Parts: sequence; structure tokens; C-alpha cells
Amino acid sequence: MISLRKLPWFWIVVGAVASVFVVGVLAGKITWFSEERPVEFLDNMDHQFKAIPQSANTFFTDRKSVREPVEGTVARGQDVYPLGPGDIDAAEGLNRNPGVPKTEFVLARGQNRFNVFCSPCHNYDAHGESRVAVRGQWAGIPDLTRDETKALSNARIYHIISAGQNLMPSYADKISTTDRWAIIYYLRSLQGVEGTESTTPTATADAAAPTN
Amino acid sequence: MFSRRFDMGVKVGGAVIGTVAAAVFLVVYFGVRNDVADVGYRPQQPVPFSHKLHAGDLQIHCQYCHAGVEVSAHSPVPSTQTCMNCHTLVKSESPKLKLVRESYETGSPIEWVRIHKVPDYAHFNHSRHIRAQIDCKSCHGPIEEMGVVSQYKSLTMGWCLDCHRNPETRIVGARPISGIFTGVLHDPKTFMSDSAAVFRPIAAQVGESRSLTVPAYGGWETDLPKHHVDGIPHPKKASLGPDNCSTCHY
Repeated sequence: MISLRKLPWFWIVVGAVASVFVVGVLAGKITWFSEERPVEFLDNMDHQFKAIPQSANTFFTDRKSVREPVEGTVARGQDVYPLGPGDIDAAEGLNRNPGVPKTEFVLARGQNRFNVFCSPCHNYDAHGESRVAVRGQWAGIPDLTRDETKALSNARIYHIISAGQNLMPSYADKISTTDRWAIIYYLRSLQGVEGTESTTPTATADAAAPTN
Repeated sequence: MFSRRFDMGVKVGGAVIGTVAAAVFLVVYFGVRNDVADVGYRPQQPVPFSHKLHAGDLQIHCQYCHAGVEVSAHSPVPSTQTCMNCHTLVKSESPKLKLVRESYETGSPIEWVRIHKVPDYAHFNHSRHIRAQIDCKSCHGPIEEMGVVSQYKSLTMGWCLDCHRNPETRIVGARPISGIFTGVLHDPKTFMSDSAAVFRPIAAQVGESRSLTVPAYGGWETDLPKHHVDGIPHPKKASLGPDNCSTCHY
């Protein structure tokens, strides 16, 4: 006859908890966090010797699977913005809307892109007091709904998005040319103004044509 | 033939060995399954980047850094330039950002540790899933709450097929969508109204064929799923469904 008092109750409780944990982990109900690479019992051609984007590849001496394209290469459907931040006059002559219409869809797309790329600093309502600016105690992020910005032409705003200005870097690598015009439409709707195309109205047809 | 003692030893020994073997088999068999081994993989990254801070507290949208995920099979890990958009000013002297500054100066990439990976013989296309209105969190989990990112779903074929056999239960219309389409992360008020604004014209465009086509918008609108169920764009085609082998293995 086993005496209840002599049973190792402590270890029984510990064992029960451990069993629940092990069964829970094995059943996938409890997540076991680990810094170690997952165990692979059989490598069923999971890892092939091929170039996977942004992965290391020993075939190349610099181990970059993403190769540098030939200098001057332009991806299909994209163009390189030729101007620097200071070329304001050239921008007024160069940047023309390639025919993106102001539809509900384009406005929604502009809102989407604005919220993704502009709102971290300029805020969703374009007033400038964004959560990043507040937390980082950033002064000098302009209110895009003030009169000076309203007076800027579309060509100039396109130039600022593409080439950057002051502390703002260029977003040409992140926002496609068409999306930039959609953002301008949406920004104009936030400002409540129509906006002017450009301060130099006599742009040639060549300059206005999209380069893609 | 054998002594009673030996007989008992064989019985007890067999029972012990059998129990241990069964336990080892169970632990190994279940332990190496992807849904056990892969979920919770949380490697240390070379730069202690916190998604909780950037995506959660600061509400910087996924696509600000992973820009191009909606048009690309591969979700890009941001270039160092993206980090330096802000970090030329913010915390520009922080020792945690030393590698970022070095990478920016030398042009050599930061060697982030890859967490989510499907086998090389299976193709996962991010843009295709976003077009089908599957949001980031469906597979990556609550990234905006993760200080260090860990794998959230098993990414096994069975897990893929759970969705691919019944996509209509997962696409928008069946449930609220996240902010990937709207740019607002998780403010329920704005993202529901925003998503309505984004999707009304798309749905209308699908229904009315080409009334809203923007020629300059190369491909963005024309690559929409044509087949739709109850007015919702639906990835499943009658002939070659998403549960066909060649959908992922090609």
C-alpha cells in the first residue's frame, strides 16, 4: 500500500506541467521561440543552387544574387528623373501630366500612396504634425495646406517628390511616375484647391511626353 | 528455460526501451514538422530593428520600406537608403545603427537573416496575393507587435492549401482587410472607410469592364482578377484553380 504522504507531489506537479507544455508545443498550440535555424530532417531540394532575390549566392565573388545592371539601364515602365533638387526652373518646363485623369480610382490610389509614403512626416491630413514628427521632435516639416504650398504648381510638386527638397530625400525610387501624379491630385483635394499645371505654360510636346 | 529473474528483466527492459523509443519517435516526428519547428523561429538580426516601434508605435506603413511588394513576386528588404531617409537625422549617432551607417557609406548590404522561406521548388508571389486581397498579417501575423520578428505561420503546403482550396473565405468581403491597401495600419475607423473608397472603383471597373481604365497606369488595373463571385474579385478560375499543382510548382 502506497502512502499518499510519501508520494513526491512536487515532482508530479512539475512533470504534469512539463507534459502539458511538451504536448502543447508538439501539437502546435504553444509557440516555442528559438533563435536557432529550424531543424530539417530531410532536405528535399528545399535549398537549390540558384539566384534568389536579395539572398547570398556563392557563385558570385561579392555574393550578391541581385546583379548590378549595366550603367544607364532603365527598367521597363519606369524612367529616371533627370533633375537635381535645385533645378526648379527646368522642372517647371519638364514635368507635365502624361494623361493621368482625375477619377475616383486615381484619387483613391493617390490617397493610398500618400498615406504610405508621405504621411509618416506630413501626416494623413498633410498638416505636418505626424506621429513621427511628434515623437522625433522634428521641427520644420512644412504644413502642406498652407498658402505657399497651395501656390506651387503641379510640376513643382512633382519635382519635389522626384528630386527631394531640403531634408526630404528623393522618392523617385519608391513612387512610380503615375503614382506621383495621383498623389498630386490627392494632395490638391486635401488642400481644397485646383492647383496650376506649371508656371511656364509653353512646354514643348517633347518635354511633356513621358519617356517610358 | 531462463530464470524467472532474467524473464522479468527482459519484460521490464523491453517496456522501458519501448516507452523511450516511442517518446523519442513522437518528439522527433512531431518536433521536425514545420508547424512545430519553423513557427517561432526568431533569429537575432544584425541590426536590432523593431517592427513594434516602426510599424506599431510610429504607424509607418509596411510598404514604406517594403516598397514594390504589390508589384513584385519578392517582397523587397529595404535598401539602406530607406533607413537613411530618416536616420540621417533621427538617432544619427546611435550605436545600434552603426551597421546601417557603414552599409550606407561602403555600399555593402546588411546581412539580414531570412526568416520566412518556402522551399525553392515552390513559388510564392507576393503581388499575386495582394491583388487577391490577402493582407500581410494573414501570413506574417501581428508584425506591428513584434519587437523581434518571428515566423508566425508554418508555411507548409497543407497550410497553403487550407486557403487555396477555399479562397472565398479569405478574400476581402468575407472579412475586414488590413491597411496594406489603404496606407493606414490599424485604425479600424479609417481603414474600413478607406478600403471602401479603394475597392468601390475597382469592383465597378471589374463589373463594367473598361470604364475606369487609366492607360498610363501600366498594368495596375488591367491585371485584376477577372473572375468574381457575388461582385467580389475571386482568384479561382473554373478551369485551373488555385489548388492546381502548377499554381505554385512551376
